[in-house]
Amino acid sequence: MFYRRAGTLHTRYQDERQLWPFAFDRGLVAVAFAVLLAAPFVFERLYLVTYILPWIIWSTAALGLNLLMGGAGQIHLGYGAVIGIGAYASVHLLRVGVPLEIAMLAGGLMSAAVGSLFGAAALRVKGLYLAMATLAMQYIVDFLISHFEFISGGTQATLQVPPVRFLGVPLSSDGAAYYFALGVCVVVTLFMLNVKRTSFGRALAAVREKDYAAAVIGVDSFRFKLLAFWVSSFIGGVVGSVLAVSYYRAISPDQFHLDLSIQLVAIVIVGGLGSVLGSFFGAALILFAPIVLNHLVGAGAALLGLSISAELRAHLPLMLYGAMIMGFLLWEPLGLAKIYNNARNYLLVWPFRHAR
Amino acid sequence: MSVTRRTLLTSAAAAALAAQFRIAPASAQEKVIRFSMPQDFTKIYTFVTAEYNQGQRDYISLVNARGGVNGYTILPDVSDHGNDLPRAIEAYERARSQGAVLVDPLSTPVARALTPRALEDKINLITAFSGRSDAADGTVFPYVFPLSPNYWTQIALLVDYFRQQSGDLKGKKICFVHIDTPFGKEPLPVLKRLQEKLGFELSTFPYTPPGNDQSAIWPQVRRTRPDWIVFWGAGVGQTVALTEAIRNGLPLSKVSSSVWLSESDMDVVGREQASGVLKIEPCASGRTPKLIQQILKDVVEPGKGAGPADKVGTAYYNYGVMLASLMVEGVRQAFAKAPQGPISGSWLNAGLTSITNFDAEGLIPPTTVTREDHQGGGKARIARWDGAKFVPVTDWFSAYSDVVWAVIRESAAEFQKSGK
Repeated sequence: MFYRRAGTLHTRYQDERQLWPFAFDRGLVAVAFAVLLAAPFVFERLYLVTYILPWIIWSTAALGLNLLMGGAGQIHLGYGAVIGIGAYASVHLLRVGVPLEIAMLAGGLMSAAVGSLFGAAALRVKGLYLAMATLAMQYIVDFLISHFEFISGGTQATLQVPPVRFLGVPLSSDGAAYYFALGVCVVVTLFMLNVKRTSFGRALAAVREKDYAAAVIGVDSFRFKLLAFWVSSFIGGVVGSVLAVSYYRAISPDQFHLDLSIQLVAIVIVGGLGSVLGSFFGAALILFAPIVLNHLVGAGAALLGLSISAELRAHLPLMLYGAMIMGFLLWEPLGLAKIYNNARNYLLVWPFRHAR
Repeated sequence: MSVTRRTLLTSAAAAALAAQFRIAPASAQEKVIRFSMPQDFTKIYTFVTAEYNQGQRDYISLVNARGGVNGYTILPDVSDHGNDLPRAIEAYERARSQGAVLVDPLSTPVARALTPRALEDKINLITAFSGRSDAADGTVFPYVFPLSPNYWTQIALLVDYFRQQSGDLKGKKICFVHIDTPFGKEPLPVLKRLQEKLGFELSTFPYTPPGNDQSAIWPQVRRTRPDWIVFWGAGVGQTVALTEAIRNGLPLSKVSSSVWLSESDMDVVGREQASGVLKIEPCASGRTPKLIQQILKDVVEPGKGAGPADKVGTAYYNYGVMLASLMVEGVRQAFAKAPQGPISGSWLNAGLTSITNFDAEGLIPPTTVTREDHQGGGKARIARWDGAKFVPVTDWFSAYSDVVWAVIRESAAEFQKSGK
């Protein structure tokens, strides 16, 4: 009923290659995009600044990590450090007066350079060993940032982001900062949607499944592993500068600790490895479940007139959050994107039970 | 475009969905002043926050039980930010939209991240024993209030105490053992300047965060044969440092720390073994101060306490009472200046900056907060752990304000140069 389809009946190659072959999907994407575009005018500031903006930024970061983890099958536990490098590089450039457009790309390039340096470890080690190598990257970068005062910014170790403009528009208002983040997110999303259809994406898939099998069929796994690290670190670096400019506005070393890396890995896994949509779902769940559960527990206690001790009140949402993540992964190990896909597959043929 | 039933239904559904997100503007509740306290109950600070927050809420309960301030009750809005910045920013923005006049996050990373927002939104950010030390300079940070001696002031107080005890520090050895984070390294600029001024030898020993293993550091400290030792950390690092100091046979009467040492730490180390260790005391500890007695009588005994009664009077609990009393005094002063309000961040700001010689009935040193000085004079005292409680060994005093303020002004000037 919703999708109005029976069978796959393409008569032209263009039809088959479309990103969204169904009119319903296109409509959904258009509605979602329209809502995001209208967000500064529709939603209150609280929701724009503290929910939608971080969601957009964390989703973009998750997309970058997803290219590496879901696309190329390389584990990365140091993505927070990658984001940190981008943030520090671009903020330092902004502070000496480099325009944001250049500083953002330079942040990306800096992250890409350092990220692929550590990614080179991936050429020798795999799986858990690679996880350790990238973890080392996280610690080394943390150490360097907090130990060199010219990087971290003096005894207070906090760098202010100066007022900036992007393409001539000052990013001082909430709306401008939001559109800047949204713009980057859209570019990265389009890239990720399309990358699977390119030879690069297919080569990554081959490397992901078995790197020596990929070598047998003529994919240079050396080159593509490194390229995967390069591209994903570049995205991470750009996200770092978006994060600094439009959300944090002052950066300090503890914003890019292991916590952030783990959070991003969790987003990718809970959302769905290799899924673009999943990155958005995962980011929403991991970022907001603790906050929403906190409010729900608080409101529930107030409603029922229960007096919960402050400590239980603080820990209860965490327990619920943990249970929720376990529940999701038990129910559908392939993540939220797969849950969405199951529902969609069901509706594709509804009210019938099977597709042709 | 023809309007079909489907488009109509879809847009109705979308509108209904969007309507869910619009919350009503903060209902203008009568006669309530909102204090927002998003703090870290679950991640790093845990029992520190629990005791501090308990003290704050008990004091506010006391004030409210006596009819509030000028007929207004104070509403402490407590939530958990888990030291996670997106959550803290959400809590801050929610507080702002609900009309809170003050935010007390009790977390250095959170306070630093919220500083630009608070300055822009004109909401008073309380950064007691956390946040930027240079926020003591109220001319650069008009809406950030440490209201307590910052880390630079604390280290200057310790060094001055050593000087009083040793007579002269020339040629004496001071060891500074610290967690290797920006917070741990914070006292270094003041220490180095005092080193030049007083001529002592300074050796620094960083340990890796979070500091559960410091066994490699302390034998080195012992080998330098220090005259005085300062250990600087928070949470687990503090108890481990103290344990290692005892294990290495260092005389605890020469070992000292910042404000972050409490009865709960002593329970971990062993109350008897730890006796002799020194710390900075920004307010009186124990249950003897008049305010704590009143809280016990009017709040805890009737069963209205915010937490376990045996925590009343611990060091961190009293810090909570101290800060809450300063905040409420700010409200009183604000009413004295503008009885009709309107109640807002800048209204409270005027009150906080006119706190004069306030001593919370003997709990804290006489504190005067001005537009220029947001740490309230920078007075504290040194206390010694006698195996059961902290006993003050000095009167309230301040030390080397010139050196401390030079560092504060330099750092603040740098902030002003880059932030604006």
